[in-house]
Amino acid sequence: MTTQSIDLVTAEVIRSAMETVCFEMATFVSRHATTPILNQSNERNATILDAQGRLAALSVGIPQFMLSATLPVRFAIDFFGDELKPGDVIVANDPYHGGGHLPDFNVFSPVFAEGELLLIASIQCHHGDTGGAAAGGYNTMAKDIYSEGTRYPLLKIIDGGHERRDVILTMRANNRLAGFIGDLRSQVGAAQLGATRLGELVDRYGATTIKAAVEHTIDDARTRFSAAIAEWPDGTYEADVYVDSDPQGNQDIHVHLAATVEGDRLILDFAGSDDRPHISAWSTFGNTRGNAIAQLASLVDPSIPKNEGFFDCVDLRVPEGCCLNPVMGKPVSSGTHHPGVEVGDAIAVAMSQILPSRCSPQTYKYGSPRQMWGEVDPRHGRPFFDHGGEVNAGWVNAVEGVDGWGALVSANGNLIKAEAEFNEVNFPHFIRSRNYLIDSGGPGQWRGGCGSHFVKEVRTPTSINQYVVNQRHVHPGIAGGQSGSPDVCVISAGTEREVVVSPVVTGHLLETGDQLVYDFGGGGGWGDALLRDPQAVLEDVWDEYVSVEGARRDYGVVITGTVEAMDLAIDEAATAARRAELEEKRA
Amino acid sequence: MTGYRIGVDVGGTFTDCVLLRPDGTLVVEKSPTTPEDQSEGVLNGIGRLAEAEGIAELSTLLAGTESIVHGTTAADNTMIQMSGAATGLIVTEGFRDEIEMRRCFKEDIWDPALPPPEPIARRRVRLEVPERLTAEGDIETPLDEEAVRKATARLRAFGVTSIAVVFVHAFTNPVHELQAREIILDEYPDVELVSLSHEVHPKPGEFERTSTTLVNAFVGPPIVRYLDNLEARLHAAGFTQELLLATCSGGVASPAGIRRRALATISSGPTGGVVAAARAAHEAGLGDVISVDMGGTSFDVCLIRDGKPDVKSDWNWRHRYCISLPMVDVHSVGAGGGSIIRARRGTLLVGPDSAGSQPGPVCYSRGGEEPTVTDADLVLGRLDPATFWGGRMPLDEDASRAALAGVGTPLGLDAEQTAVAAVAIVDAHMCDEVRRVLSLAGADPRQLDLVAFGGMGAVHATAHARALGMRRVLVPRVAPAMSALGLLTADHLIDDARTLLGDWRQIDLARLTALADELDASAHEQFEIAGVEPGRIRQEWLLNLVYPGQTFDVAIPIERTTGEPIAPAQLEAAVEEFHRRNEASRLIEARSQEPFVRGIRLVATGLVDQPHLVRLEPSNDAPVPITRRLLHCGGEWHTDAPVYDGETLRPGPTIAGPALIQSRFTTLVLGPGDVAATLPNGDILVDVTPAAPGPPATARI
Repeated sequence: MTTQSIDLVTAEVIRSAMETVCFEMATFVSRHATTPILNQSNERNATILDAQGRLAALSVGIPQFMLSATLPVRFAIDFFGDELKPGDVIVANDPYHGGGHLPDFNVFSPVFAEGELLLIASIQCHHGDTGGAAAGGYNTMAKDIYSEGTRYPLLKIIDGGHERRDVILTMRANNRLAGFIGDLRSQVGAAQLGATRLGELVDRYGATTIKAAVEHTIDDARTRFSAAIAEWPDGTYEADVYVDSDPQGNQDIHVHLAATVEGDRLILDFAGSDDRPHISAWSTFGNTRGNAIAQLASLVDPSIPKNEGFFDCVDLRVPEGCCLNPVMGKPVSSGTHHPGVEVGDAIAVAMSQILPSRCSPQTYKYGSPRQMWGEVDPRHGRPFFDHGGEVNAGWVNAVEGVDGWGALVSANGNLIKAEAEFNEVNFPHFIRSRNYLIDSGGPGQWRGGCGSHFVKEVRTPTSINQYVVNQRHVHPGIAGGQSGSPDVCVISAGTEREVVVSPVVTGHLLETGDQLVYDFGGGGGWGDALLRDPQAVLEDVWDEYVSVEGARRDYGVVITGTVEAMDLAIDEAATAARRAELEEKRA
Repeated sequence: MTGYRIGVDVGGTFTDCVLLRPDGTLVVEKSPTTPEDQSEGVLNGIGRLAEAEGIAELSTLLAGTESIVHGTTAADNTMIQMSGAATGLIVTEGFRDEIEMRRCFKEDIWDPALPPPEPIARRRVRLEVPERLTAEGDIETPLDEEAVRKATARLRAFGVTSIAVVFVHAFTNPVHELQAREIILDEYPDVELVSLSHEVHPKPGEFERTSTTLVNAFVGPPIVRYLDNLEARLHAAGFTQELLLATCSGGVASPAGIRRRALATISSGPTGGVVAAARAAHEAGLGDVISVDMGGTSFDVCLIRDGKPDVKSDWNWRHRYCISLPMVDVHSVGAGGGSIIRARRGTLLVGPDSAGSQPGPVCYSRGGEEPTVTDADLVLGRLDPATFWGGRMPLDEDASRAALAGVGTPLGLDAEQTAVAAVAIVDAHMCDEVRRVLSLAGADPRQLDLVAFGGMGAVHATAHARALGMRRVLVPRVAPAMSALGLLTADHLIDDARTLLGDWRQIDLARLTALADELDASAHEQFEIAGVEPGRIRQEWLLNLVYPGQTFDVAIPIERTTGEPIAPAQLEAAVEEFHRRNEASRLIEARSQEPFVRGIRLVATGLVDQPHLVRLEPSNDAPVPITRRLLHCGGEWHTDAPVYDGETLRPGPTIAGPALIQSRFTTLVLGPGDVAATLPNGDILVDVTPAAPGPPATARI
């Protein structure tokens, strides 16, 4: 490809303008969709791609999902060829044609200049149902992709500006939710808006300049990322991480990584990862790829633009048939999360051997999103379906110099989670607690973020699906830090219907007044807990992130008094003795 | 209008005052800000207005003044320094950590090392009490009064002096919050402030309401102390009317309102400047503009499109906290004339520390020892040592030169070279900020004009415009006191809502009407305090509607006569319009769903008398320089650059750069090739010559 020279100011203006188009697309969905996961939690990921389907720009969203938007679009470019035309809008959700899992619908629209394909505006959103054997898009008991729902490798929902009524009819007929088509239309509107805005940019700057600007920004990312890799010591760094079990009870799903730094290139080889054919834990190649790049991006200067330039520096080797690149037909709904995110854990653990200070798994341990539904909301008599996208805290690792804080890791991106004051209007329940859990953050020189004690109480009989992980194989500490507390999920807690979930419940019925009690696990610590400043431990005890007992046990800091009596103090001598004792035990 | 009106904007360095005479003409004065007690500077500034007006006694001026509108950055300063009250929080059991969880939001999604914000209330002073309302506003668990009492005692023991109370669903039914306030006041009568969430931000979303209420509790006590003091001093000096406070949405509030919601004053000064800039751009016939307010300590940028600045509500982040009040979208960076120049590790750094007004730049001779951007501008010939600040503060150029040389010598730079480099660095910072604001809004600087104001705005404006590729710069005649002018002349805007949730077929219209009446009464009270006559109030009623599950309100106008009950037909018409709009944008299967009412909203505008426009007589005579001097601009030195007196310019022949146009409180620097024309109202419009081709000048030395 010939690279047109472009002045830096114009390139920068076009790059930010494209990011702004992404932002506008995402905002459009938030404003018009009816599902809380879209309009409150912002699980909508906008990207712009070039005519080869290379990622040119992204802005708000969840990193791994923005980074995985390219493959379905590339498939469309190959499949349609000349049949792509201005005014088209295409829908795709098929995991085996570039997608992640069926609930994630990619909607995209091409932009042409003088008859030539130039750019593609794409928006991916998570929907609440996919048809198939179980409501909610997460049939954790599925034996194959067909029982998870309907696959749409490509559908022209808008053909040259004309809505295909037959396509809408088919999609409506294959989905349980009344709001599905409305939400899909908000995505279509966003893709059309994106295409219009990009068309305006083309009118202003001309196709040649736009192409040069895209080339420039990809080149900028490639140059800066490869320069960062070149500074890392050459060598091979390995990691093994595990998921407790798949939803069907197959234990210890294994992710193995050998990361090799060779000059300014990085090879990520996942050979050796779980390939037992009967498991039900499959992350598609597209999903594995998005998670890998999202974790790598957190290791380098955050100001490097996120685009195809990152992918260009990485040689990703994932053998077909392993849990990170399944053969066609495997069920994938929950595999998108686990072992999908464990790809990030593995990279963080492996790279912490050479880059300890920035390594922090940018991942989560959701299991599957919680789904709760019932036939009748007594307040208006209609059925309800709650996707459980509420605020909870968990799995935030510390990094060198900064304790884990907030609710989720940075790389959950702009996933702004739902609030009780909205959800209690939409669904018949009470949120009784989401407070931090004491002693849940992994001890370290910098402490992992706390997990949280989440309690939801139903106001009417309600069914629930829930898959739980992070019970045995918990979020890892880094550089000598300890792991965070495990997840524990109890349903109908304290009643004769009580179930401790391990690993899954499907269709459990909560009676009116029953509670779901979910203790979300803490993040891993960073560095040796015995090196933590005793004053910082004391402050943590005052704030009930750490108990007096936890301070003694995990940090070797002996504190007298109680929070209740407001007379906490460090016992310096006892602390020195306790720390010496712990050191000795280690040796 | 029969009396005087006074606008006062307290900036980090200067306190700007504008007097609007009964005949509609203006007087502008400036006085140094007095950080220890800002009311001192305000009184001094008003004293200067009296002097300029030839009134011997301050009390005579104040007795003849019908209103004083005050804009202040006190709330911003409190947040920047995190110097607010010792604040505690009482919340519904189970919701202790909203403020830390932030709905999972983090400012940078790619940086795992992003530090947390400094806490306003650490976890130890965030206490829970049993109580609960349903989403419908019914009491599910009664308030545990004893728990409130215990929590109050505990907060008191921790030294807390200001308490925020946030209960879930309190915006639908404030009963428990009101009850809690009584108990707190009973248990802790000396508490400085009890801030209730339903009073600060009566809307759903427990995180946004917690954050907004907590920040209000934090900044409230210092602001209230300041206002009490200022009011007392003004009244003692003879002012008989009520002092008005400008708010972040462009409206005004009474001190009583501010006592409950001090947070509403946040960024109110800069907001005034933006309002005045929008009007100036309109008068000059410009299209979309970016306003840039550069003073001693801050650089405030706002995009004005279609004549209106963006107003944002709900998800506003300021100083790393969510402040969900409607506010004019002004972006601020800590850089200005007072930014300190230092040498570190072999390079030159400018800011972020500011010398403020005390000690101020070295050239002020107030004890400042570190050189600032103002010192650099002085050494570069851009400021006149003799006439600066209306001639009231002779500047010590030698001292500036010595201080600059002191910083530059270790780097091998003399005073002039240090000045050139420092100004290049600060200009680059500022241009980056402008680009950031524009890129967020998807705007290209090359398609915008620049409106520059603030004491230092005109000094740097043409350089900024050139670096950003902008072709025109407007410098209003009142540029040095634009914010104060804007406070005085902005139409009062009240945009407020009350929440009532329900399926539209089941909504209680009597209750909705009562809430509307509440909004109407509150708006009228504010307008009355502001002195807006009923005939000058415009009201627009809107119904907030959504389809079930949507969270962003769509406001649909309703044809409501204020004071009369909302009729079923009006509701039906609004619902029909809501369906129609959704069908028109083909977004939703519109009629298959029943809309949900989320509340009623009032947008009320109180029109304010505008100053008479000055109409300067055109003149055919070419302007004559009052002097010539050595000037550095456009990247080079110019000997004998002409200096013009801005106060005497008339529409007619233009002035070409390099040149200086000097006014009482500011100087406009024209680079080589720039051409300045005086407009009939005295504002100056500059055609900026584009930068030479080639790589843009960098700030590196």
